[in-house]
Amino acid sequence: MKYAIQAEGINKSYGKYQALTNVSIDIPEGKIFGLLGPNGAGKTTFIRILNQIIEPDNGLIKFYGSPLQRSHVENIGYLPEERGLYKKMKVGEQCVYLAQMKGMKEKDALTELKMWFEKFEIQEWWDKKVEDLSKGMAQKIQFITTVVHKPKLLILDEPFSGFDPINAELIHNEMLRLRDEGTTIVLSTHDMGSVESLCDNIALINRSQVILSGSVAEVRDSFRTKTYTLKFEGTLLEFTIALGARFELMSNELNNGIHTVSVRIRSEFKLNDLLKQVIPVVDILSAEEKVPSMHDIFVQSVLSFNEAQA
Amino acid sequence: MSKIGLIIKREYTTRIRKKSFIVMTILGPLLFAGLLFGTIWITLNDQETYTVLISDPYGLVTEYRGEQDSTLVPRFPDQFKDNENVIYGFTEKTQKPEELKDGFYNIMIELDEITINDGKCNMYFDNFPSENIQGKLKNDLQESLERFRVVDSLKIDYEKYKRAKLDVSFAEININKLGEEDHTKERAVIGFVFAILIYMFIFMYGVQVMRGVLEEKTSRIVEVMVSSVRPFQLMMGKVVGIGLVGLTQFLIWVILSAVLATFGLNYFESHLVNGAAVLENGAVVANGMNQAAMAQSLMNNEAINWIFLINWPLMVGMFIFFFIGGFLLYASLFAAIGAAVDSDSDTQQFMLPVTLPLVFSYIVSAMLITNPESPIGNFFSIFPLTSPITIMVKTAIGNISVWHLISAMAALIVAFLFFIWLGAKIYRVGILSYGKKVSYKDLWKWIRQKN
Repeated sequence: MKYAIQAEGINKSYGKYQALTNVSIDIPEGKIFGLLGPNGAGKTTFIRILNQIIEPDNGLIKFYGSPLQRSHVENIGYLPEERGLYKKMKVGEQCVYLAQMKGMKEKDALTELKMWFEKFEIQEWWDKKVEDLSKGMAQKIQFITTVVHKPKLLILDEPFSGFDPINAELIHNEMLRLRDEGTTIVLSTHDMGSVESLCDNIALINRSQVILSGSVAEVRDSFRTKTYTLKFEGTLLEFTIALGARFELMSNELNNGIHTVSVRIRSEFKLNDLLKQVIPVVDILSAEEKVPSMHDIFVQSVLSFNEAQA
Repeated sequence: MSKIGLIIKREYTTRIRKKSFIVMTILGPLLFAGLLFGTIWITLNDQETYTVLISDPYGLVTEYRGEQDSTLVPRFPDQFKDNENVIYGFTEKTQKPEELKDGFYNIMIELDEITINDGKCNMYFDNFPSENIQGKLKNDLQESLERFRVVDSLKIDYEKYKRAKLDVSFAEININKLGEEDHTKERAVIGFVFAILIYMFIFMYGVQVMRGVLEEKTSRIVEVMVSSVRPFQLMMGKVVGIGLVGLTQFLIWVILSAVLATFGLNYFESHLVNGAAVLENGAVVANGMNQAAMAQSLMNNEAINWIFLINWPLMVGMFIFFFIGGFLLYASLFAAIGAAVDSDSDTQQFMLPVTLPLVFSYIVSAMLITNPESPIGNFFSIFPLTSPITIMVKTAIGNISVWHLISAMAALIVAFLFFIWLGAKIYRVGILSYGKKVSYKDLWKWIRQKN
């Protein structure tokens, strides 16, 4: 697999405070990569290192195979979580200025920006001052200035915060389109819903360390507990007796005569084995695997890591 | 264009297009000229009229008009002439000062028996008279009393006495520059004007740098910017851009002031003829140097020849060098302050140590006018935090060694490189630190912190 970013053994401390401890993260090319973690875990530090805003104490970062260097900033687009614009400047002027900062020529910047402004149907904002824009409007402008120079790597820190659902959808679709065109996207967010719907790979940082990483499918797999949710009509007592020692009843709930139970199966058995045992005694209405959500995985990993440290 | 060039361009163009810049640039010289000419105007047109009662029971300055006529008149008709501002009246009675209230006279001067010996007399007033008016009163009294002493006691002809009388003044000649008069004090004043210009420039535009940095930080644009350029480029772009705005404003001021001065002087030339007439009328201020007199001496080419004693090429060269060097030094510090804090109100705690040397150098520069060779002035004109202001006075006075100048310049170069480095260290960390009240300890940590 080709990687947009290969970070190896990154350490960063601020005085006595250790912000990153031996962090190694590989970000595959042309994919959306979710960078997850609680507040203060070290995500922003890692992102700032990728953007060369700060330097790691040690460790190596490769950008598309070659060691990260100054000229690479022009191939990176960065939308920080704390983002803003020059309030007194006109929208168009400001977009051109920020594009030039990313190494674009004024003429090219104008052509590209015109295209984006038409796409987002905001042409009439060009001569407005930024301070006259609403927050949502400013967010759109910020997104455009992040992507206008066609970066190979796009780093978005909480891109959906402050957006209404319509605009969030717009950005969501743009991200998928850019990925399909070959852009690698790093998405840092607390919104696990968007991780589920967008990310191909993730890394979870907690207390300065990577505690979980891999493709979303792999990570999920590793968190499967062979627990199934069954709905049935009948008596719970007979159901429980039928389970025997091979299956464990985790929870049950009765609603309008329908039992909803979760059952964990010991590793050597399958769902079929469970069904064989219980079908004779109750009427099964449905059976499905309890797949862990990214939200559950996040919470579970962080809590168990913190417990182990304490 | 390079990225730092683009930053400089943005800082420059957004600022010179601002209404406040245009207004200040045009109004600045107008205000200044207004202030200057206004003062001269007011001095020359002190319109209030004073009625002055001279109470002279011992007949020191008055006498009866004739043997039958007991009206009091001045003993010497050359003195106590009424003019548009002063009307005299005389009495031989002593009058209670309270009676002045609601009366015709608003000033009473009481001569007693020892006035003739020590020249002291009481002046009762309701409304304190201006220097100009006091000058006329004192002058009239002095000449009149002098005449009385000379003629009545010493029996000398007053004209002879006048010819014998002598005012001593120094022609100041530096032994290192024989053959020319020195005019140290006047030159120091010129130097001080330049010092004030640098002081104002550093303050006004240094604070603008601080505000600019703070604005970038609070509007959160700064993180996007430093993902494209190095923090040092961003900081220097701002400092240089704003510095150029200041230079532009200064240049426009110089040009506008020159134009205004030409017009203004033409106007005052005609007016000063009247002024001169007033002076001849006897309204001469006893101790010289009031504005009218100064304006008159300025009109007189002989009197301002000393201005060419200043080494102007050196002066202008030093001005530009210390103007730029001083600004770079202080602007870096102001940028660091802007980066360290989260809001305007938090800047105060860090402003004090930065403004203190500026204010001190201003005070020392003013002091140099009366004490040009003071050792503290020598120190302040080399110490880089104060030299950009104080050196201007030293240069204008002249009598400054090449080594003095070179060490001041070298010290400034070393210092501004150091303070740019120091400012950049604080700036780099500060712009990305939010929400925490920063202490001096934090700043020290930031300076030592690796990137």
